[in-house]
Amino acid sequence: MSSFIDYTVNGLVVGNIYALLAVGLALIFGVANLINFAHGSVYTFGAYIGWAAVTFLHTPLPVTMLIVFVACAGLGVVIERVGLRPLQGKARIAPLLATIGLSFVLDQLVQLVFSPDPRAVPSDLPDWRLAVGDGSIGAMDILIAAVGLASAALLYVFLRFTKLGFAVRATAQDREAAQQMGVNVDAVNSAVFAIASALGGLSGLLVGMYYNHIDPAMSFQATLKGVVAQVIGGVGNVPGAIVGSLLLGLTESYGIALLGTTYRNLFAFVLLIAFLLWLPNGLFGGRATIQSEPLVGSFIAPSRPIRLPRWAVAALALAAFALPLATSAPYLLQTLTNAWLAAMLALSLTLIAGTAGQISFGHAGLLAIGGYASALLALDLGAPPILSIPAAGLITAGLGALLVFPAFRLRGHYIAIATLAIGEIVSLVILNWEGLTGGAMGLTGIPPLSFLGQDIFSNRAIYWLCLAIVVSLAALQARFLNSHFGRTLRAVREDEIAARSYGIKLDRYKGLAFAFGGFGAGVSGAIAAHLYSYLNNQTFDSQLSLLALTMVILGGMGNVLGAIVGAVALVGLPELFRVAAEYRILIYGVVLLLLIRFRPQGLLGTV
Amino acid sequence: MSIFSLSAFGSLAKRAALAAALSAFGAAAALAQAASGEPVTIGVSGPLTGPNAQYGAQWKKGFDLALEEVNAKGGVKGRPLQYVFEDSQADPRQTVAIAQKFVSDPKIVVEVGDFSSTASMAASSIYQRAGLVQFGFTNSHPNFTKGGDYIWSNSVSQADEQPRLAKYAADLGFKHLAVLYLNTDWGRASEKIFGEAAKGYGMDVVASEGYQPDEKDFRSTLVRVRDAKPDAIVLISYYADGALITRQIRSVGLTTPIVASGSIYSPKFIELAGEAGNGVYTESNFFPGDSRPEVQNFVAKFRAKYNEEPDDFNAVAYDTIILLADVMNQYGIDRTAIRDGLAKIKDVPSVIYGKATFDPQTRRVAGARAVYLVVKNGQFTLWDGKKPSAG
Repeated sequence: MSSFIDYTVNGLVVGNIYALLAVGLALIFGVANLINFAHGSVYTFGAYIGWAAVTFLHTPLPVTMLIVFVACAGLGVVIERVGLRPLQGKARIAPLLATIGLSFVLDQLVQLVFSPDPRAVPSDLPDWRLAVGDGSIGAMDILIAAVGLASAALLYVFLRFTKLGFAVRATAQDREAAQQMGVNVDAVNSAVFAIASALGGLSGLLVGMYYNHIDPAMSFQATLKGVVAQVIGGVGNVPGAIVGSLLLGLTESYGIALLGTTYRNLFAFVLLIAFLLWLPNGLFGGRATIQSEPLVGSFIAPSRPIRLPRWAVAALALAAFALPLATSAPYLLQTLTNAWLAAMLALSLTLIAGTAGQISFGHAGLLAIGGYASALLALDLGAPPILSIPAAGLITAGLGALLVFPAFRLRGHYIAIATLAIGEIVSLVILNWEGLTGGAMGLTGIPPLSFLGQDIFSNRAIYWLCLAIVVSLAALQARFLNSHFGRTLRAVREDEIAARSYGIKLDRYKGLAFAFGGFGAGVSGAIAAHLYSYLNNQTFDSQLSLLALTMVILGGMGNVLGAIVGAVALVGLPELFRVAAEYRILIYGVVLLLLIRFRPQGLLGTV
Repeated sequence: MSIFSLSAFGSLAKRAALAAALSAFGAAAALAQAASGEPVTIGVSGPLTGPNAQYGAQWKKGFDLALEEVNAKGGVKGRPLQYVFEDSQADPRQTVAIAQKFVSDPKIVVEVGDFSSTASMAASSIYQRAGLVQFGFTNSHPNFTKGGDYIWSNSVSQADEQPRLAKYAADLGFKHLAVLYLNTDWGRASEKIFGEAAKGYGMDVVASEGYQPDEKDFRSTLVRVRDAKPDAIVLISYYADGALITRQIRSVGLTTPIVASGSIYSPKFIELAGEAGNGVYTESNFFPGDSRPEVQNFVAKFRAKYNEEPDDFNAVAYDTIILLADVMNQYGIDRTAIRDGLAKIKDVPSVIYGKATFDPQTRRVAGARAVYLVVKNGQFTLWDGKKPSAG
């Protein structure tokens, strides 16, 4: 019984920390209708500014907090002005991507300036503790709770009773109407980003002091937990974000109590999925929240795609096939083979996210299913790769559609968050199902690709195999897009209600899209498994899902050729930037930002 | 798009490349009279960006120090030794591309890295088929060197390390252990070996909890640990996560003694754990207070060059370059000669092993040195043999 109290207290303490993050995310979502993926990076930035102040200037805590607050508010204004304001009126996907690009850039800058080493952030709080049950809470816990509650209370007062607060709420409700009534919408956005970022930075500082540990890699987890917490509370709802965070903390803590530490995140993401299914508006979201969510069509930049003439596409394909005859440089062929594997993934995602409008943040999960399926078929049943790879594709098609099926009724941001969670769940199941997958030890000795008992190691042969699969999948997909199937999917994307009233069975078509897409992604994962000969839960991580989405947007949503171009570019660019060593991911982030700024519809345009 | 990247970032990229080149060639340039001629190149595949970037940075310090020493003594066969460091982010998709780059570049005579087993083992078959030695010095996955006769490692085998940790716990007089381990291939393998060894010494593991590398909060895990009533908590962790857990154990009011695997050995552990670090028992393959000449030489030079205390990762990186230079000096500077040399070379002076000799069958080194340590007043000190009073 006393343990139960301890688990409860611990859950609340952790939830308290999530709340600081979630409040900022909720504020930005409420006003700008945007999941700010750069929020975790601002949090990291704040932590490092605080560390610098404490270490070099020996500032006392209140002064440190003030410095961090001001610096991060400034950063928020810069992010809004430079990164997001120019994208106004562009497709809604553009700012979302811009925040991903910004987070790359910020994280890398922090890492370059402060080194990747973790740092200790000493706090000068008194070291007293209050006994609760058999455990205790300390001064820092109370400070964090106080900051969380105070900021929520201040926000409430600000939004409810000040003039700027009125303006913020008006902008959140209806941007155009607010503008017509004379609200300076830009100033409002700027203020919101300043407040939210200041809070984000402050939470980075406090959490850093709490654990006496900061490192530049901490931003992604922070964003992830913050997003989960605010969806549970009801997106865009500030009090909801706090309650959602506490609930998330409690669920994780009870999860650990029930099954053990490795199941913690599994509980977190299952809770998220449960909420998305039964209470998609969250605990506090009113009915209005989901209605203000735009229809998916406006998510994607409408544009006239660049159409290459048939002969040009054929010539490109031929040139790609002929390349290994002209050169045998293994590095080039390997990089392009990687690009073809990525292209299979991008083709799959461009169909699901671009054509059918179901933005997926969890596509790495499909690769993992495919990879493990083929590896296990080969290892446990002795199936030759020529059978195990297509079988893995089919398994991924089935399992992928089945896993996402419950999320079919969600739209826009919600489906993105649901797929993100499903992707994480797949990876966590792989980690914890040791009997089948080997858990963290992974699977070793996966046999190489082979044909009729003959092992294939030649770079050329593997290159041709992957290219042939990409070309066939692309041809098939292009054919689909021009058929009844493609038109129906686009109709679903543009307006679900209209599509349904024309008698289209939405679930059936979404299921078909996920199944077809799952097949391509599964095949890609399966080939990778045989090429690497070793897989574990980290081989296909969630960063890869984000990368896949970037490829698709770079090429143009729904654009078949664009997906391939995007894959080649995003696999190739980091390789090209190799000379830049530590700077290369920074450069990559900046290139991404420029691209979103100047060509949000992608290189080849959306279809 | 390429226009943007060229005009806006050309100079940045150039500067970065220059900086990288300077750090790599610095040693060779300063001591040009000692070693001259066409440089001999080692290819390094490791993380410089991404979540494991700090380890790549630690490697570089060890490499650079070793290169200075090697090149001051005439390099390898009179030629300066250098390395090229390709950033892989410890991502298997990038290590295979780097592998192809290295195997097709005749200047690369041996490859070193990558950091994680996930990333390294994906590339092993490429190195093996091309006949270029893949030398993994942080790869403790038991299957790593099974990739073929070109796959070698001087990483301390957990089959050596964990039983020793278990013996330390037994020597300290503990009976019931709670194990917290990093849930990666390394942590999981270590935890298994540790558990078996602990049984052999008559101890029982009353709780075993795996945690994710990005986990920051351990309070609820510690409630589980507390309820299992251990008389010691065993950490199979790296220094950053080890320090996090240690702090939280103390801040939730648990006074149970802590025994941690040698991988936490780093000045950073002390810094991050603060007060809570005092009293932690650990063992290390490498201890600056060790009187062996290899250790004293390394520690003195490291302090002089970087003005900080070396850690385990610095030491293995340093050892690796010294070892490879020795192999090349004795057996020749081509890919096959290096492979054959690794099998033949005996008793290379080493910070970690004292004298390193490979077992040509397993392609690993056995018999890492170790000392029992305990943290006192914010310093790692040799264990004085005193058992903790029962707590």
